[in-house]
Amino acid sequence: MSLVNLFNGLVYGSLLIVMCSGLALIYGLRRVVNFAHGSLYMLGAYIGYSIASVSNFWVALVCAPLAMAVFGVLLDRYGFRLLQKREPLSVVLVTFGLLLVIEDAVQSVWGKANLSIPTPQALDFTVEVLGASLPAYRIGVIVVGLAVAVGLTLWLRLSKAGLSVRAASTDPVTTAMQGVNTDALSALVVGVGTALAGLAGVVAGPFLSLSPAMSSDVLIDSFVVVVVGGLGSLMGAFIVAMVLGLVQSFGAVHLPDSAVLLPFLLMVAILIWRPEGLAGNRS
Amino acid sequence: MNMISLTLRTVAALLLGAAAARLIASETVLSLLTQATIFGVFATGIGVLLRQNGAVSFGHALFYGGAGYGVGLLLKLQWTGAEAAIALTLLAIAASAFLMGLVIVRVPGIAFGMVTLAMGQVSFLAVSRARGFIGGADGLTIEWPATVFGLPQSVLFRPDNLFLLSWSVLVLVIAGLSLVFRSRFGSITEAARDNEERARFIGIATLVPRAVIYALSAVVAGIGGVLSALNSGFVSPESLHWSLSGMTLMMVIVGGAKPLWGPALGAIVYFLFKDVLGDYATHWMAVFGVVLIVVIVFAPHGLAGSIQLMRRTRQRAPTAAAAPIRTAQAHK
Repeated sequence: MSLVNLFNGLVYGSLLIVMCSGLALIYGLRRVVNFAHGSLYMLGAYIGYSIASVSNFWVALVCAPLAMAVFGVLLDRYGFRLLQKREPLSVVLVTFGLLLVIEDAVQSVWGKANLSIPTPQALDFTVEVLGASLPAYRIGVIVVGLAVAVGLTLWLRLSKAGLSVRAASTDPVTTAMQGVNTDALSALVVGVGTALAGLAGVVAGPFLSLSPAMSSDVLIDSFVVVVVGGLGSLMGAFIVAMVLGLVQSFGAVHLPDSAVLLPFLLMVAILIWRPEGLAGNRS
Repeated sequence: MNMISLTLRTVAALLLGAAAARLIASETVLSLLTQATIFGVFATGIGVLLRQNGAVSFGHALFYGGAGYGVGLLLKLQWTGAEAAIALTLLAIAASAFLMGLVIVRVPGIAFGMVTLAMGQVSFLAVSRARGFIGGADGLTIEWPATVFGLPQSVLFRPDNLFLLSWSVLVLVIAGLSLVFRSRFGSITEAARDNEERARFIGIATLVPRAVIYALSAVVAGIGGVLSALNSGFVSPESLHWSLSGMTLMMVIVGGAKPLWGPALGAIVYFLFKDVLGDYATHWMAVFGVVLIVVIVFAPHGLAGSIQLMRRTRQRAPTAAAAPIRTAQAHK
């Protein structure tokens, strides 16, 4: 029982890693908490659903995030870039307006009924581990989560662009003076972040159903993760995402009545101790 | 604004409400206005937090819906009369919001908004999944006694009286708040809002005043919730949902939070606009999303800000127009 439990926690944690890394990246560079991130996740899932229904899952897994990346670049160019002189609060409210528009658009195009992306046949089997049978697809979700975590970390640590991203996250003005094109960099980062939201959506499609409510559930959990982890900190987000996934899946079994309260209690406990989050350092 | 002008404006606004309640015959118009006014009170609560603390709450429905549940539960348990139930609920909201405020107002910047969002959503999930007494997803009918505030239900719950009650409460709340913010306490919170570090540096303790503002804004939202409970006789988990907080926040932004009456103006505009939209209302989310973006980009201080700007330019216009003529004459 507890192995399946642990496993499901890791699966949800991996999904949150993919979501939160996009949120944290965008915050790092643009100082914008994207309230539409959950809606972008939903949009990615629905686009993935449409692509999967005319071709197959693997095409959707590649094309939906690519479509979302284009959306993200446009969002940065015609949204965040034009608003970068405004105070962060008003940009946040703009993303809230965007959230409303996307939610409405998704409901108008795909309807309100629950949809589901079928599990790809290549992964439609179970693996026996220590007497528990684990669906191969969910193992794949964990692999995607780990790949995103490791890939982003390596990209940020080792590549030239990653160096510029880290520099611009610390001080955009000085970075621009060193000759880095921070606008192009932001477009890249927002594109990657939005693509990751889309990727999370497609990956979630076969095991969480697609519905208009899917965005707010995951958005709230992602917010808990990035606030507790420390806004803009990738490593903090990775760790808290896994912890939150595990806490939720154990809570769902052992404390079914109060499981929804657990993430919140975790958040309050940590915020009393460190208001800026575990890995946060800016006031 | 001095005391005399504040009193005059308050009395004028109260008379305006009484006249409207008397003159408007259509029950649908009255109930639309009542709803707008109730949301005006709720929005004023969110506006207080934005105006005095510079903080945006995405979870104030917690207090709006919470007030309905508080009153509803106390009446269902039949522990107290209606008046005491309302007073106890608002007191409980003040106390719990103050304690919550002590923790969360320390959370910097926009993370504060994310925390309030999470808290609101948790309350929604907890209540909608609670079985039995609270009513879960089905909601809770509020069993008002036969007489409330000494008035029989048949009188109090008439549309014109409900409107008059809500409107008067709204006016008095705004007048009361502007009295409170004229005090030293108002100045302290504004100092803490503009630069908390400097405020602390000159010897002002900022945490408690900021938590008090949070509690005050929660109580005002709660008063809105009580009015809604009177108006509809029902409360459901939807009244706790973050989307309700978000929509009301939108009214605050569209109305403008700088003057205290801005959020209420936003609420009234919102409901009239939604009514005009009529058949297109199925796409109201997209419409309001676009309106919100347009307002933030082109009129960051909302409708109230635009009105004040227009008034100022009109006051300035005559002298500005007169000046060139005079210089032109001087040149002759």
